[in-house]
Amino acid sequence: MDVSHPMPATSHPPHTLVACLAVPGFVVALARRDNPSLLRRPVVVGGSPEEHARVTACSREAAEAGVTIGTTLRRALALCPKAVFLPLQESYAAAEATRILDLLHLYSPAVEPIAPGHAHFDIRGLAKLAGMDDETYLHDLHGSVALSSGLPVQLAAAETVFAAHAAAMTRTSGGETRPVLVPPGQARAFLSVLPVEALPLSPEMHQRLRLFGVETLGQVAALPFAALQAQFGHEGARAWELATGHDDTAIVPVRDELRIEANVELPAPTASSEPLVAATRGLLQRALAEPALRGQSVRRMDWRLGLENGEQLSRRFVFRDPTTDALRMLFLARQRIERLQLPAAAVEIGLTLSGLCSEYGHQSNLWPIGPRRQRELQEAIDQLNTREGAPQVFRIVEVQPWSRIPERQLALVAFGP
Amino acid sequence: MVTDPRTAAGARGLRTLNEPVPAAVEASPEGSPRAMLWRGAYRRVTTIHDRWRIDDEWWRDEISRRYFAVELEGGRRVTLYHDLVADAWYAQPYAGPEESRQLTKKRRAG
Repeated sequence: MDVSHPMPATSHPPHTLVACLAVPGFVVALARRDNPSLLRRPVVVGGSPEEHARVTACSREAAEAGVTIGTTLRRALALCPKAVFLPLQESYAAAEATRILDLLHLYSPAVEPIAPGHAHFDIRGLAKLAGMDDETYLHDLHGSVALSSGLPVQLAAAETVFAAHAAAMTRTSGGETRPVLVPPGQARAFLSVLPVEALPLSPEMHQRLRLFGVETLGQVAALPFAALQAQFGHEGARAWELATGHDDTAIVPVRDELRIEANVELPAPTASSEPLVAATRGLLQRALAEPALRGQSVRRMDWRLGLENGEQLSRRFVFRDPTTDALRMLFLARQRIERLQLPAAAVEIGLTLSGLCSEYGHQSNLWPIGPRRQRELQEAIDQLNTREGAPQVFRIVEVQPWSRIPERQLALVAFGP
Repeated sequence: MVTDPRTAAGARGLRTLNEPVPAAVEASPEGSPRAMLWRGAYRRVTTIHDRWRIDDEWWRDEISRRYFAVELEGGRRVTLYHDLVADAWYAQPYAGPEESRQLTKKRRAG
């Protein structure tokens, strides 16, 4: 019995266009960019083979030798003795991934980072705004990211997130790096030739589909929805939806940190502290009245002074507790302003309020432990970290508890949720 | 491009604990500590509470240490080890394998 799926034929407006940008094997690609002698050589990332650690990334050559993510480094060495073992440089990879995201933010207002070197973003209507067609826009974007990052970038766009993702991961692989545009209304046809492994399901599910003789998404889409759901449950229903081009996944863009800025030009150049304090008071009142600050407290204030000779002088105030009390903020600022010895008269003054967080009461608690106490503790730690600019509170973790070498057994990591 | 696992803290945001620090130790001919330079003055070792030995990783960068849990005059307890490979003495904020095992058990219990 063929039971039709209750979903309407098209669940997306026709103009929706989502792009997927991915750098396959991002960490390995970074290492190869920085050291071209690693090209075509098996590369394993995670540390040296003597370490009690696991593989965090590996090149295709190493994967062909049987190395997978999660394999112990010793096993990886046994499987692929010619591999070059590299340490995982997490902060470096994160910085490079952020650079790519910053570039994408120039092209799209809604960018969702998926993994380092992998992002989904909304590009609907942007090509028209730039006076181009979608294909030219994608080429331009692809060229820009590839050139500035120096990495092998794969890019595709389609009406749905899944179609764009599948296109970026499959059609552009194997040496072909040109961007792919899945034309509107053709997602189902495009997906139909892809193997079932393109579906974001468990490896067991892929295997089960193949055992049933279902090898492509076209074959999945041709099956009755009810039969797939009855056989495979939720995963089967999801597989059918994706294979037929239905995907309601929305882009969840990252939110920039909210900052409140206020600037004012002084009516006359001055080098004395009183007008500067008065102007700061006015700026604080103006900034704190911003609707975006309603119900929020401020951790940090950056205070700037523009001087007549073109120099700029700045001071940062990190409050002991988050606050919205203008008098308290001014009290702290006044002490520093009065001690200033300006090399030239000030002509402009500005401030930025940042580190916004929810307001929090400090009345005593009936119960000494519990989630509220935890929140207070976390709040205090966040404040301390913001104040010092680096983690200040740590917890002890076991690193190699089995090691006989005392300094390898325990370590400190930054305290956090 | 292979990391040295003994490099100081930093990798993956970790800071190692119990790092050994070089110590000036006067030893007896048989190798037991007699006195230690502590805050600018040599303090006599009054008691050796425990001693043990660690030999490991002989297949690459050999580690061979002879540990002593000692008490200095004045009552301070210190763990010292003699690095038999480099012939150098170190102090290490480490209670010893047995105490360490008990601490780990306590930590895991809650």
